[in-house]
Amino acid sequence: MKRRTFLLGAGAVVGFPLAGCVVTKIIPVLPKRPMPDGQAAMGWIHFEEGNYFLDLPRIEMGQNITTGLKQVACEELGIEWGDLEVRMQQTSRIERVRSTVGSESVANFAIPLAQACATLRDAISEGKLKGRLDLIERPLSELKMFNQATKVIGKSPRLEHVEKIVRGEPLYAADMRLKGMLFGRVLRAPIAGDIPSAPKGWNKEAASAITGFVSIVSEGIGALGRSKGIGIVAKTPGALDRIADALNVEWSVEDGPSQAAIEAALDIDEVASKGAFSNIVQDVGNVAEGSWDVDLRFDIPAAAHAAIEPRAAVSNYYAKGKVELWVGNQDIFFVRDVIAKHLSLSQSDVIVNAQRVGGGFGGKSICTVELEAAVLSRAVGVPVKVQWTREQEFAQAFHRPPSSHRIQVALENKKMSTWHHRFVSSHILLTNAAAPEWIQALADTFVGDMGVARGAKIPYAVENQRTEYDLVRLPYFTGPWRGLGAGPNALAVESAVDECASQAISDPIEFRLRHLKDERLRRVLERVRNMSGWRTRGAANSQGMRRGMGVACGVYKDMSYSATVVGVLVSDKGEVKIEHIWCAQDSGLIINPDQVRAQCEGNHVWGIGMVLTDGLTYSDFAIEESQFSDAPIPRLSSIPPMTIELLEQGDPPAGAGETSIVSAAAALANAICDATGHRIVKFPVSTLDLEVKTVG
Amino acid sequence: MLIEVNHKVHAIPPEWREERLLDFLREYLGLTGSKFGCGAGLCGACTVTVDGVAQRSCSLNVQSVVGAEVKTIEGLSADSQVAHALQQAWMDIAVPQCGYCQAGQIMNAAALLEENPHPTDEEIEHAMDGNLCRCGTYNRIRSAIKDVAGRS
Repeated sequence: MKRRTFLLGAGAVVGFPLAGCVVTKIIPVLPKRPMPDGQAAMGWIHFEEGNYFLDLPRIEMGQNITTGLKQVACEELGIEWGDLEVRMQQTSRIERVRSTVGSESVANFAIPLAQACATLRDAISEGKLKGRLDLIERPLSELKMFNQATKVIGKSPRLEHVEKIVRGEPLYAADMRLKGMLFGRVLRAPIAGDIPSAPKGWNKEAASAITGFVSIVSEGIGALGRSKGIGIVAKTPGALDRIADALNVEWSVEDGPSQAAIEAALDIDEVASKGAFSNIVQDVGNVAEGSWDVDLRFDIPAAAHAAIEPRAAVSNYYAKGKVELWVGNQDIFFVRDVIAKHLSLSQSDVIVNAQRVGGGFGGKSICTVELEAAVLSRAVGVPVKVQWTREQEFAQAFHRPPSSHRIQVALENKKMSTWHHRFVSSHILLTNAAAPEWIQALADTFVGDMGVARGAKIPYAVENQRTEYDLVRLPYFTGPWRGLGAGPNALAVESAVDECASQAISDPIEFRLRHLKDERLRRVLERVRNMSGWRTRGAANSQGMRRGMGVACGVYKDMSYSATVVGVLVSDKGEVKIEHIWCAQDSGLIINPDQVRAQCEGNHVWGIGMVLTDGLTYSDFAIEESQFSDAPIPRLSSIPPMTIELLEQGDPPAGAGETSIVSAAAALANAICDATGHRIVKFPVSTLDLEVKTVG
Repeated sequence: MLIEVNHKVHAIPPEWREERLLDFLREYLGLTGSKFGCGAGLCGACTVTVDGVAQRSCSLNVQSVVGAEVKTIEGLSADSQVAHALQQAWMDIAVPQCGYCQAGQIMNAAALLEENPHPTDEEIEHAMDGNLCRCGTYNRIRSAIKDVAGRS
């Protein structure tokens, strides 16, 4: 076994691979955060004066885990829905928990919570209401969630928060209003965040003359990557725009890499021409240079999370050296640690309250706006609210890294005999928005970035296969995006497999099944074939429309399985109309079927975005797009009816939040190819690539 | 200078007169149901109705609605105890994921049904296409609107 393969396969490196390194002033030591066990879960569930409380160990960001874990607790405690109050996370109320990422909330928190609830239930029934309770671990078969007859597990009760949502009651970070609260913003140079920049001069007089002006804060603002900023505080939100204009900050900016240099660095063929790749995902048999039956290059651009909620935080800096924040962040303990370090406070003097997150998707997992709010509120001595503008979201947030893939396959007897996938991308877990260059360089050489590698290992039995990649540091920030590398990797892999089926003159589903040993993956694929009436409708073209059907399948994090079929119509002008989406998904034991379905629907909308809309451009040393007008996301009219089936055959609960992103995009791309004959190799696809070319 | 929101009349203090309607609603009146999403009228999270017509409150100056009747998500249901039919359908179908865009979606749908109680699928698409949802709840939004349109 090769050393790198061993390191990647060891499984010990989870989350931030170099935990424990102190890196810069604002990045605290990242403590180890093991998966929770039942004893840890004892700290989440409480029985106080006849009332049950669950301190949610996860962040609520739309996966509706508040409802899911409440179901687990109510089932095990044997109590009514209304008897349990769920409280959002707060750093002072529970011990540190893992960041809410990676679709882990049910997979890794449900069973520990059920164990703790079982212990509490038995203690209460025995009258032990005082003192410390130690977990009594029991076999899974004794947990009620695994019983045949459950009361709320496997059901879909009314969602927690849903009434507040539809009535517009306060739930999100920016909804917090405190007495005397002011509004803040940190201005940064209009260039990518990894290019060093700092404010050089500004017009204080003009800014001070604006109605609502309170303060300019030029000291102590944390850098975002290498971008140093200057803060402004105002009495009203709208005054911030006017003050920013009047302040007219002049920036000192260092040279950054040109667009051409970045394009070259992300050109897989250029990278491959320079020799060996640093990171190997899979290396089996003998992959030699040879003649290939399929030889395709795929280019997938950077993409924004585009959560509708721009990140926000409210900070109240108390005179006695304590600070309290209300945030919409996927990791409030990391936020606490960053702020404690930056403000030289003890961790216990920083209290962070989790609010419902208005869309996370991996993008709200580091500390940004929260530190800005904390610094500004300390400077002015009153509460300050900061919500990024949409333009700041595009310019300063980290994005899905772009990737460039070369996939070469040799076929033998209508099967894949050799598979060689090389790709180049940028950092995900080791995001440059938080990790300095030397840490990334170290990781690039030794462990790679498991986020980038995610989903690159193919599920197919191919005798000779090698998958390898390189990482380049980009001038703009890149990081986790729904599914991490699994989205783009599966899009490239499943497009190539589809082309192989075509070259082998085989049905794409039959072709896949020929290489699949994994029973659960076979099962979803066979199921979606039946559901969709796979290619039995014929390729009837009518009125300038070309009809096609495509399939893709995959495994997410070795725990959940998805297969998708998409039916499309493509007009002669190249417009894509999606007719229907079918998906069969297996995420093991299901706590809440309707919400697993909801995640599956969402992933398919993301798949549509990956193929048709998502893309950012690096130009003039910055991300060029700044609004939904130039970086569109899918709209209601582009979403077809979906038929989703959830398969569940006694397997333990797994994650569902990112599962079907591995099949959603490629199934659409393959359907478009089936309709038009155009293999999409550059995403998002342009209508120009799909229009019927008139010869002459 | 007076503004009517959800049937209540409020004076606009001088220091708030240059503000966007959205910020005035959220930060001065404390009606935080309408959300900030883009600031450019491109996402619909801030949708309110002005004289019954759906408007993007991030793109209106607060003074521009003086004399008009503004309704926000907080005032959608005439009876605070009973949810509006759309709010009820949204709960029954479990439309929201993160929920951030949903107040805007509901207000936009309310304006649509007010004007056209039985919209066709195409009319729903046309009316709702400017309200973005990143979680991808679109099919449930469509179902909830059709549910209410079918019932009324």
